[in-house]
Parts: sequence; structure tokens; C-alpha cells
Amino acid sequence: MSPETQRKIEALFPRYPEKRGALLPAIYLVQAEKGYVGPQDARALAELFGLEPVDVWEVLTFYNMFYTSAQGRHHVYVCTNLPCSLRGARTLLKELESHLGIRCGQTTPDGRVTLAHEECLGSCGTAPVMRVDGEYVENLDLSEAKRVVDSLE
Amino acid sequence: MPTLTIDGTEYEVAEGRMILQAIDDLGLLMSGVDIPHYCWHPKLSIDGSCRMCQVEVEGMPKLQIACNTLVTDGMVVRTDVERVKKAQRGVMELLLINHPLDCPICDQAGECTLQDYAFDYGMPGARTEEPRRPAKKAMDLGPTIVFDQERCILCRRCVRFCREIPKTGELGVFARGDHSLLELFPGTELDNPYSMNVADICPVGALTTKDFRFKIRVWFLDDVESICNQCSNGCNIYASRSNNRIYRYLPRRNDSVNDTWICDHGRLSYQLIMENRLTEPRVSRRGTSYADAVRAAGDAVRAARESGGSIVGVASPFVGNEDLFVLKQLLEAVGAPAATFAVPRGESDELLVKTEKAPNASGARALGFEESDASPGAVAVALVLGHTLAEECLKGVETLILLDTENCSLAERADIVLPARSFAEKEGSFTNHAKRVQRFRPILEPTFEALSEGEILQRIGAAAGLTGWTASYDVHEVSKRLSETVAGFDGINLDSLDDQGCELA
Repeated sequence: MSPETQRKIEALFPRYPEKRGALLPAIYLVQAEKGYVGPQDARALAELFGLEPVDVWEVLTFYNMFYTSAQGRHHVYVCTNLPCSLRGARTLLKELESHLGIRCGQTTPDGRVTLAHEECLGSCGTAPVMRVDGEYVENLDLSEAKRVVDSLE
Repeated sequence: MPTLTIDGTEYEVAEGRMILQAIDDLGLLMSGVDIPHYCWHPKLSIDGSCRMCQVEVEGMPKLQIACNTLVTDGMVVRTDVERVKKAQRGVMELLLINHPLDCPICDQAGECTLQDYAFDYGMPGARTEEPRRPAKKAMDLGPTIVFDQERCILCRRCVRFCREIPKTGELGVFARGDHSLLELFPGTELDNPYSMNVADICPVGALTTKDFRFKIRVWFLDDVESICNQCSNGCNIYASRSNNRIYRYLPRRNDSVNDTWICDHGRLSYQLIMENRLTEPRVSRRGTSYADAVRAAGDAVRAARESGGSIVGVASPFVGNEDLFVLKQLLEAVGAPAATFAVPRGESDELLVKTEKAPNASGARALGFEESDASPGAVAVALVLGHTLAEECLKGVETLILLDTENCSLAERADIVLPARSFAEKEGSFTNHAKRVQRFRPILEPTFEALSEGEILQRIGAAAGLTGWTASYDVHEVSKRLSETVAGFDGINLDSLDDQGCELA
């Protein structure tokens, strides 16, 4: 992690009764910098917090939205909860898999896109929905989904 | 002291203890008071994750976990009510949902808490038809341990052990809920001097040692109480034996010595017992009968006494107190000075491993022997136990009588050689670094003619014609005489010692 991130993490410590309380926001900061938090980062965090690397790793792996390995430049999450699935989200996800040549959860070899599925995004009225880099893309059909994915740099 | 009533029986317990701890303090846990438990371990921090130890506490609406419920004065606990039994069945069902039904090929079978509790507290069948969660089999965790991930019930005992005892923290439970798995921190190995203890504390067949795995079914083994002889800590052990062979050591609990742990080196030291054994009695470097060798040794002692030649004794910190006592008596009978002994030394740590790499140096000191690695000089006869003294030191000895277990280079040079029994083949006691006298019992029958050092010396004394010496030897008698003669040993003998040992006065 950069000295900048480390400085930000250390600035968090006084805000918690125990240093360890700042671990979650610290993991966020590292992920914001690097896109993921790998074993080396976990070791660095452990050192900073006076914990064992496994302590950090247990917290890190507990949450789905922390990544332990490098992700693509763009995140494409397809909701596969019930209403979206009824409106064809699962077929859509399969089609995107073969379109990108990767399986759900994987990243394209050029590091451009990481494709994954997601639980309810709270937008069932516009199902099926996918989330691209935090932005909702709604009322999807296959060609629209492909167009959006292809437009990602 | 608070009183705690469990299923109608009242107990006085210590202040500030959890229910399980209080029962364990009384020595009644699972032997008098049955509160089944997985994650709780007497020597680890409280986790409260398995939920198996739920009990009913009067005045509390919900069941409480006995491992993390503080005893208060007058607390009334019930374990024999249907509500508790139902909770136990529920926990067992949960734990077994993803546990493979592979007891016939699992090495833990026969000493598996999951198996035992399934019979005692579980349901007769499974209600689930779904496939079990897939996980890895036979993962290599490091030099000593194999991990069968699908058998793990996530009690986190091993995780806590690694963090709290060797403080190496290699293991963790990663991911969440149904995805949780025990894993190593990426890129690390389970490799610390105490790693194999995780196999002992694992309640299921998930963690097994590479050394013992698939060697023998545990129901063919019987466990003999003994003491590890690799350093002066004297860790209490069980030696698991079958067909006159030791298959493994397990740590035996002694809160004053080793808690419930043993180091990996000590655990594997059973392999050393039969290594390079001295099996043949020799006189003048030629094989002979045991009786002839004893007679020759007796003659040498007698001749030295008659001609006024000096006799010395070299003791060993590897033999029992009783053996050393017979040496002491023999030397006194022939008017020789007290024996000396040398102690091999090595690395130590803050946990169990001590510098003195022998089990009974304290015993030798307590018997009035002096530690020294100096040469006894030119003497007529030297009675030498073991080979801890450098060979050059014994150059000036005219007749070297060696009592040893190992076919060492000194045995090549000795004039009379008598094969001795190892500690695993005899009965006796060691005195550890903290002056605790601890009993070891015979585990193996020697496959060749060998006697304990005490008995050999007794016979040599008889053969030398010492006044009042007969060839008959009873280690319990010797131990009694020792406790009556030697200061500090008052009341401490093989018949009075229990399985926890006793400190010298």
C-alpha cells in the first residue's frame, strides 16, 4: 500500500475505541487504491494493526465485496435474484459468459472485464438489471447487455 | 465458594469460572457430569462456536452454553431435560449435514468425538437428502499434518491453538456461513515445533499427523502412562502400544508440567527407542551370555576391592531414580566416591522444551551425584551408565564396565558390556527440572536379553560378594528404600505416586 493510504489508515485509529475497529475501513482504503487486497496487503495491514495476517484474512474473506486477487478494469454484475431470473437474467448471464469467453466470477485475459452475478439490487421493476462499475443498467435484453459490455474500454 | 447444582447434585466450585471450567476443575467433565462439547478446550480461549454444550439454567429463559456462562452462587443447571437433549440433537444434525459418512476409511474412527456424540446425543438418521458441501481431501498443511477439509466441523480449536500456544497463527477460518472453510494463510505452511498438537485437539478426523495416519486402527492400541525422555521438562505422555510396538505418543494432561501439549520432537521420539540398540552382552569385546558378563563385572569389582584399586561410578541422566539409587548404594558399599554424571544440553523455548536434553538430571542431583564431564583419571574399575561422558575421559580406566541401551562407540572400547533396558521397557521414575518425580511404566518387552541398570548393578553387587547383596531385584522395594533413605524423597515412591507425579520436598 502507498504511504498515502497508510497515512489515511493511521488517521482512522483515533476514531475507534480499539485499533482493530478500524480494520474494515482500512481494507476499503487499500482496495480503493489497488483494486484488491492480496496476501501481501493483508500482511502489511496486520503489521499496522498489530494482528496476525490470518486475523485480517478472516475479516477480508468474510465479505463478498472485498477482493483478494486482481479484478478487471470494469465490474459487470448481473442480478440473478428471483424477479430478474424470471425475466431471463440467467440466460443473459450465460450469453455474456460465452460472449466474453469467461465464466461467471472470472476476468477476461486482457484484464478488461470481471463478470459476476449478484443478489437483489432493489430494482425489480426494471428487471433484468446489471450493475456496471456501480451504475445500474436496466430493462436489459441480450443485445443491449452485449453493447454495454463491448463499450467498456 | 459458589455452589453449583447440576442435575440435582451440589458442587462447590471456584469463583469466576464458567460452568464447563468449574466442572473440569473438579475433574468430572465427561466422567460424572456429561456436558458434550467440541470447541471448548481446557487450555484454549473460549470460542462458543459449536453450541454443543447448551444447558438449562434455572431462571434463564433460553438454553445457555456451559462454556461461556459464568457460575453464580446457587446456580441450578439441568442437562437431563428434554429441551437440552433436543438442542443437542439439533446441533449434531447441523454438524453432520456436511460431514462425510466415511468413518470406515477415516483414521479418527474409534477416538472421534463426532462419532461418539452421534451415538450418544445425535439422531438415528439424517433428514437431508441434498449432497454434502464439497471440500478438499488430504490437503498437505506442512511437514507434519494432513487436513481433510470435508470432515472439519469448524470448531476453531486448531486456529486458537496456533494463535495462543506456539503463537504462530498459521490457520484461520475464511469466508462466511456455509462457505466457511479452515485454511492456511495463503502461501504459508503449518510448520512450528508444536504443530502436531492440532491433531490431538481436533475432535474429528480432519487433522491427522503424517506420522500416525493409517498406521493402525486405534482400538488395537492400549495407552500406557509414561514420561517423555527427551528433555528435563518430563512431559506426561501416553504411549500407544500394540504387538510390542509403540505407534505414537500422545500428550497426557498434567497442568503442572505440560498442560495438554507436547513438542513435535518429543512426540516423534518413540522412533528412537529401538534405534541402534545394544543387544549383546560382551566380555573383552567378545559376545557372551548375560550371566557371564555379570559374573565378569562382579569379579572385576571384587578384584579391585581386594587389591585396593579404585572404583568409580559414572551415572547417567537418562536412567530412572531407582537405577541411580542402586548405583549410589553399590558405590557406598565398595567405598567409592559418589558418581558423577554429564548432561547433554541444547536449545530451549518458553513453552516446554528445556535446555537439559535428558529426563533425570535433577534426579541424579537429588541423589547426591555431581554434574561433571571431567575424566575420573587412572582407575581400576569404572561402572559407567550410558555414554554421556566423552570417550577420551575414560582412557585411564583399567576395566570399563558399561551398562547402556545403545550400541555406541564406547561399547566397542568397554571391557564388559551389559545391554540395558530403555525407559520404555522398565518401571521407574524420573525427576524433572522442577524436581517433580514422575512415574513411567513398562510399555514394551525387550526382544533380547536386557535388564534395567538397577537390576544389573544389583546382580553385579551380589556377584562381587558385597555384604547383604543378593541378586533378587524388585524396583518397588528399591523405590521404597530410596524414599526412606534420600532426603527430599520422603513418602515419594512408585507405590505412592499418582499419574500427576509429586514434587520433592
